[in-house]
Amino acid sequence: MLEQIFTISFLTAFLTAAVRMAVPLIYAGLGETFLERTGILNIGMEGVMLGGALFSFAGALLSGSLAVGLVCGMLGGLAVSAIHGFLCINLSQNQSVSGIALNIFMLGLTSFLYKILTAGQSYQDIETIPTMAIPVLSSIPLVGNAFFNQDILTYLVYLLVILAVFFYRKTGAGLAFTAVGEHPRAADAAGIPVYKYQWIAIAVNGVLGGMGGACLVLVQLGKFTENMISGRGYIALAAVILGRYTPLGMFGAALIFGGANALQIRLQTLGVPLPTQALAMLPYVITLIALLGSVGKSGEPEALGTPYVRGSR
Amino acid sequence: MSRKQSYLAVIWIALITVAAGTLLITLANASPIEAYQMFFRGIFGNITNFCEVFVKATPLILTGLGCAVAFKTGFFNIGAEGQFYMGAVAATSVALGLTGVPGPLRILLAMAAGFICGGLWALIAAVFKARFGISEIIVTIMLNYIAINFVGIAVRTFLMDPAGSVPQSARIGSEAAFKLLMPPTRLNMGFIIAIAAVILVWVLMEKTTAGYELKVVGSNRRGAKCMGISVMKNTILSAFLSGGLAGMAGVIEILGIQKKLLEGISSDCGYTAVLVALLASNHPIGVFFSAVGLAAMQVGANSMQRQMGVPSAIVNILVGMVVLLVLGKRIFQFKSKKKA
Repeated sequence: MLEQIFTISFLTAFLTAAVRMAVPLIYAGLGETFLERTGILNIGMEGVMLGGALFSFAGALLSGSLAVGLVCGMLGGLAVSAIHGFLCINLSQNQSVSGIALNIFMLGLTSFLYKILTAGQSYQDIETIPTMAIPVLSSIPLVGNAFFNQDILTYLVYLLVILAVFFYRKTGAGLAFTAVGEHPRAADAAGIPVYKYQWIAIAVNGVLGGMGGACLVLVQLGKFTENMISGRGYIALAAVILGRYTPLGMFGAALIFGGANALQIRLQTLGVPLPTQALAMLPYVITLIALLGSVGKSGEPEALGTPYVRGSR
Repeated sequence: MSRKQSYLAVIWIALITVAAGTLLITLANASPIEAYQMFFRGIFGNITNFCEVFVKATPLILTGLGCAVAFKTGFFNIGAEGQFYMGAVAATSVALGLTGVPGPLRILLAMAAGFICGGLWALIAAVFKARFGISEIIVTIMLNYIAINFVGIAVRTFLMDPAGSVPQSARIGSEAAFKLLMPPTRLNMGFIIAIAAVILVWVLMEKTTAGYELKVVGSNRRGAKCMGISVMKNTILSAFLSGGLAGMAGVIEILGIQKKLLEGISSDCGYTAVLVALLASNHPIGVFFSAVGLAAMQVGANSMQRQMGVPSAIVNILVGMVVLLVLGKRIFQFKSKKKA
């Protein structure tokens, strides 16, 4: 058994699968990090991703162009997040209720629209985005193939993570966005337009979450199925916490979760007699333990989940 | 928002929901009038269907009550889903394991075990919150997925039916299952338990000091501390009660309906429960009515799907939409002001 696992070909295949599984989580997690840093929790990430998945599928199917599909997916995610933004920013409503309602709403809506879209034909496929190897980097043993023989959306997410790290560490705007989530009143007093920044974060959250869903359709599966996100939105939330609300930490956490998922599939093909559920629950157990381990320094934005009402005491 | 304005908002929401429903039915290439006929015939057409509404409402009432109690105490329990499954696993284990114990006593033990296990599952989140200040929203979501996967493991290992190869437990004998109230229908003892729970929770929250303390902690933590009411004790109490009620929903699903443990039996009622509690403004009696209302929509839509092929996903769309509209009801207030 062990000699089957510790071979270069097994590890390469495992790492490649881990990165593939992680990419949608990284997109969604990055969008969620951005939003939670401004103090708004979006449990509706599942719904945002579903929106991105369905609309990217519909766009690509109807237009025949993957680029149009991707843009549709981004807009689909944006629309879902915008509802959350309106309820939570403008109307100061409960963020968890809004998120759960959005998840249920989108689950119904995407299943319904998919049935109408494919009326008559039961099975429809679109082409997927091809992989393209980066010349030198992809020939690094072990990790080269996993990280640098992927598709364009994967390379884009690396770039976005690097940009996000730079944004939060080096720019004044990054500091301002963090201030909004830590202490909106102080940020407001310092002249930061709190609501505007929260709305920008909502937009980023929707577009990136939508891309996460689109990634599953356009890169990995080439089709839409009912409830296809199946909990990935919630795993993305866990990745944000495990990553302590930083883009780089979230990136690492998403890779670990992607790895757990890939390992589960690999071990199954090897015929290891372990219920797959044992590995499937791992991300959540790790997150809970990490939460306990990070008591007092979890990096959670101080105002997370509390609506900011201007002028109230 | 004044009384008149909230009535106006309710009317607006109802109108928009009906309009959206009609639009969706038309999109699915069906005649709205016929579809609505099927919808109501599905609910009121015969006694079996009508009872089915209350069968479907039972788990929603209990999980909804659980959420309502927790929300009133300021403990945002999104974990009814996981607590439901822990209750279901506990009840199955007791009902299948203690075969030496006579039937009625075994039912009582299964109920107690389900309540306690559901309660303990919620307690984990309460301890995280009360002791370490970690957000219960996140913890309960994580616990949901752990519980769902735990059920997956259970039905494949220690609870798996030794006689079969499908991931499910053995069948629970009829002596340890709930009695049916009106035999052709699936209505069972569970519904009576749900009603009793509604009354008990109402008495607890509205008529006792303990309930008053829970509510004070929910509305003003600092105020509660100043009055000498323990925030920690009440958070833990409400979490336990809330989880126990959700666990009881799992017990009833096992002993009353399925008679064995399976994956996916909650049909997401743990998440719908949050919406049930919101629609009821966390009031126990309101929970009963909003749960029955949602269950009726489900039964009606199922009939629409069977008879006319209208996807029953419509229910999820409309339920989600109603809650979003209720959250956003201030926009209707604005409109009615403009007109006046």
